[in-house]
Amino acid sequence: MGEQYYDTGWISILLVLLFSAFVLFNIRRAIASKGSGKEVYIRRIAGLNAIEEAIGRATEMGRPVLMVPGIGGLNAISMQALNIFGHVTKTAARFATPIRLCCADAAVYTVAQEIISETYQREGLSERFDQDSVRFISDRQFAFATGVSGTIHREKVAAAFFLGEFFAESLIFAETANSVGAIQVAGSTQNTQTPFFIAACDYVLISDEFYAASAYLSRQPVLVGSLVGQDWIKMTVMGMILFGSLASTFEVVSGLKTQERDGTQLVDGERKSISDTWFYHQLKPDAPKPEEIPQREPADGVTEEGGGA
Amino acid sequence: MNFLPLAQAPSLQFFQAPGGSQQAYIMALSAIFVGLLLMVAMFNTPIKLRRPIIILLTFLAGGFYVLSWLWPLPLGLDASQKPLNSVEAVSLTLQDGTTVMGKILQVIQGILLFLGVYSVLRVHAGRFLKRQKDWAFSLVLLCSMMAMITVGYGEYIDNVRSAGVHANAESWTFWQYGKDFLFDGMLQNMDAAMFSIIAFFILSAAYRAFRIRSIESTILLASALIMILALMGLAEYGSGQVIERITGGDPSHFANNFSLTSIRLWIRDTLQAPSIRALEWGIFIGGLAMGIRLWLSLERSGGGS
Repeated sequence: MGEQYYDTGWISILLVLLFSAFVLFNIRRAIASKGSGKEVYIRRIAGLNAIEEAIGRATEMGRPVLMVPGIGGLNAISMQALNIFGHVTKTAARFATPIRLCCADAAVYTVAQEIISETYQREGLSERFDQDSVRFISDRQFAFATGVSGTIHREKVAAAFFLGEFFAESLIFAETANSVGAIQVAGSTQNTQTPFFIAACDYVLISDEFYAASAYLSRQPVLVGSLVGQDWIKMTVMGMILFGSLASTFEVVSGLKTQERDGTQLVDGERKSISDTWFYHQLKPDAPKPEEIPQREPADGVTEEGGGA
Repeated sequence: MNFLPLAQAPSLQFFQAPGGSQQAYIMALSAIFVGLLLMVAMFNTPIKLRRPIIILLTFLAGGFYVLSWLWPLPLGLDASQKPLNSVEAVSLTLQDGTTVMGKILQVIQGILLFLGVYSVLRVHAGRFLKRQKDWAFSLVLLCSMMAMITVGYGEYIDNVRSAGVHANAESWTFWQYGKDFLFDGMLQNMDAAMFSIIAFFILSAAYRAFRIRSIESTILLASALIMILALMGLAEYGSGQVIERITGGDPSHFANNFSLTSIRLWIRDTLQAPSIRALEWGIFIGGLAMGIRLWLSLERSGGGS
């Protein structure tokens, strides 16, 4: 590899590989320790404990449970939301509580159909699965918001789960569900929307609690191991922050000066600022200088002037 | 040592046939044929084999993006230049492949959209035909959807055929007026109306959230009050005047730290910004772990064990 490859943020790649290794190692550890009596402890998450309470209430009232996986496309976030909805559906299926799952993305809708249908099958309650309970509403943000709000009002849902990627429509959902007296459990990976959910919902999953949910609910070794791996990563990051702060502070305040070559003499340069420090440079490498860009021949069919042949 | 073959990035002209050309039609038909063939093959695959195939495909598709991200990016290389060595050639191929993969994803999204439209039709046509509760709303929805599809497609075809002569309103035909009425005149305004409702919802949600019920909500209320007051010109001016009287205009006086603006900035920079960064870290780490589990097919969705 040419020298130019080394200065493009390799430390970030190294860190991601290390973090991935933490997750995989702990998954392996959790699988190996399954049934040995040394299961990992997961702290209580109020929002997830409320799931059974919410479904129980919906069952008593004979009203549906609403689930919305946000308006994002099919990605890790919506998959996690659907995983949690799988658990919600499992409980709802046992109590014969009707469900409504509203999707804003066609790909998410297709996967949601499969997951919910499979959940009913796994519980041996296929006959209780209503194909129309999983619905595609619209892929336009406010058309979707209108559709979901309409569903909440018309069907008077007793419990509402808003988990996934939400944007401006979050408060519309939360307030509409509140207006019909539904118990609301919400969680968004969008930090700008979390305050709205906190203001309007009964229970909120904050930050990575959203990702911890499926481990908390299912206690599968793979998920629990992954959660422990995430904690290892957090501890490493905390260590890095501490080390980086101390190292950068030391480098800046200790009076260390850069040295520049002036002819044959080394002389003191200007005092370092934060962006001159070693640690800062490792995480935010400079853009390449023009002289560092190698000269290359033009591709076949391209003239020196840059035009096509 | 370069152990990879020294190769020029492959030309992607094969996948980029001009729109409307015979080659494009042949390509589209071939793609549909191959797709159907794959579908039939998948249906006839023994159930035990399906999961390993899906795991393999997921791994390969995910692996492509992982490799694209891990592979070193050559500095300043563009499509008009020859790569210097095999590492650069592979990088160029991966970058080109990302475009192709993006297009494949778009095709899949397009196909899935049909399923979405089918869902809307099934739910609402069923409700209308069976005259269930609120069937009139379903009828309005179905009519609106059909009108929008018809006008949207008509306007698109008209624009393609006329090669942009309808750019000015004077030369508009039925299709342009229809699109203007339905899309810009109705849909956009209804979107804006829904968005505006948020203002009222903020008020009702804030009323509930800021009621003093616990220590946490009291802290929340106090912080919010400081932030609101500090952003109001008059309150900020008044607080500045009080602080100036105390300090006598000395910028190094300790009391300067207690002006509304200083407190607001302290709350924002010292309390809020690190908290949000910590939350974002948690989300990124969770996303990474979830991504690994999905890529390696380590978990079953929907609470299965």
